[in-house]
Amino acid sequence: MSATLIGRLLRANAPATGAFFVVIAFYAVMVAYLFDPSLAESLDAMMAAMPELFAAFGMATAATTLTDFLLNYLQGLILTLLPLVLIIMMVSVTVVRPAERGSMAGLLALPTSRVRLAVSFAAAIVLLLAALLVLTTVTEVACSEALFPGELDVAGLVRANAGLFGLWLFMAGAVFASACAFAPSGAALGVGGGACLAFYLMQMAAGVGEGLALLGDLTPFALYDAYGLVAGEAAAVVGALALAAAGAALFAAGVAAFARRDLSV
Amino acid sequence: MSALPAVIEARGLTKDYGRGRGVFDVTFAVARGEAVGFLGANGAGKTVTMRALMGFIRPGAGSVSIEGRRCFADRARIQETLGYLPGELALPEDMTAKRYLAFVARMRGADEAQLRRMRALADFFELDVRTRIGRMSKGTKQKVGIVAAFAHAPRVLLLDEPTSGLDLLMQQRFVELVRAEKRRGATILLSSHLLGEVERTCDRALFVRGGRLVSEEPAASLTLEETLAHLYGAGNVGRSWDAPGAACASGDASAPAPDAPDAPGAACASRRASASASDTFDAPGDVRTSGEGRAS
Repeated sequence: MSATLIGRLLRANAPATGAFFVVIAFYAVMVAYLFDPSLAESLDAMMAAMPELFAAFGMATAATTLTDFLLNYLQGLILTLLPLVLIIMMVSVTVVRPAERGSMAGLLALPTSRVRLAVSFAAAIVLLLAALLVLTTVTEVACSEALFPGELDVAGLVRANAGLFGLWLFMAGAVFASACAFAPSGAALGVGGGACLAFYLMQMAAGVGEGLALLGDLTPFALYDAYGLVAGEAAAVVGALALAAAGAALFAAGVAAFARRDLSV
Repeated sequence: MSALPAVIEARGLTKDYGRGRGVFDVTFAVARGEAVGFLGANGAGKTVTMRALMGFIRPGAGSVSIEGRRCFADRARIQETLGYLPGELALPEDMTAKRYLAFVARMRGADEAQLRRMRALADFFELDVRTRIGRMSKGTKQKVGIVAAFAHAPRVLLLDEPTSGLDLLMQQRFVELVRAEKRRGATILLSSHLLGEVERTCDRALFVRGGRLVSEEPAASLTLEETLAHLYGAGNVGRSWDAPGAACASGDASAPAPDAPDAPGAACASRRASASASDTFDAPGDVRTSGEGRAS
């Protein structure tokens, strides 16, 4: 790992990460602001009337507490799809574009092994995702405490978000591995990003109809159980750890692919 | 080829990209302290060879080594003492030259002497390091690439069309720099399609055509006609533009001039016959003619 290269990549990707944080924070504040136990009841009534529509966006649970309300309206959509888009952008800036435009030649002309370069790429992406998660969690906790002191299960939310990091690692690993393994930029981002999007859509479809429930079990995203993590269920913790481990394995596969492949830069 | 031990070596290097693209069975060696030109037309295989030497791509067959190390497997070690200027230079556009060069220096673990040399090179090429790379002209970006490639006083230099984009004065300064590096003892492989550049900096020239090494000549004895024949094949040299249906100049081709030879169009033919190869080969940035440019 090279601290100098990681620093350079953090600077290059910080503006996009910051922009995504602003959008996520906006939604987090909005959702917390909208929390109202009586409103939650009416939302629950709507959810009961249109369960498929809500379930399609990962909003499947009757949310009577602030914690459930945040999880219901953030975790399923905002904190899954927006990070996926950010991951695709960061992997593009870090791996795909330099390889395609030729600036990767400058890095390969340095006395740094390919493994060290690729590990630095991965480290920068993971660090920025970790920073985004910490900032998001702090925002959620801060605005919840400001608006509804004592209502939030802080430890539960932290557990749910820590598990969410497993899901982010999995998505980042998949996109990174495909970017390192495939040469044309379309395939480089499309295979990993497309797989993650397909998993997400499968999960959406599974929530819509009973007959499609099997689809939900087939996607790795099903391993993330936010409510189980809040409740401290062991199965949910194992699921999150499995996602993180799969993410780490995909990053390792990406590093190995980068070390071996031809780079015509 | 020199009898001295090889620093840069390709043995049967083959990288086949299909449809005749790539390099095929390329074998050459560059001895320590030697400067060798690698001349070829566009698409002849110069850059593929450079990429193989840089360890960017694996040879499909054969081997490439620098200072006895395998270029792909030992790339990181080789780069410690190697300076590289890519043919199609791409730099991070969001950085200033100063920040980029500082980044390169840190990645190389540069000492104070190397930083001084970096500053001296930037001064020599009149590079304003405060400018963002994205706002630089091609020539100015090339200067950044040159400073980055030479700053650590490398023992081996791989230069792929290094004067691309430089103005005449900076081309001259680059030639001076390469000569100074050669005097310092650096081993240089300079890929180019400019005869003058090779004549002024190199001991000998390797000619590559269609991905194959076709000839090797002392740089001092290169003539434009021979060079063209090596680069493009004898059959492709000396052709001139003949617009379909037009006379050799303006006017009606069917109307014979008062002093025209017997056959219509013969004036064009005779003019074509007298045209030398140099009339049709305009080497961009080639300051001197082949005669003037001979290495002294």
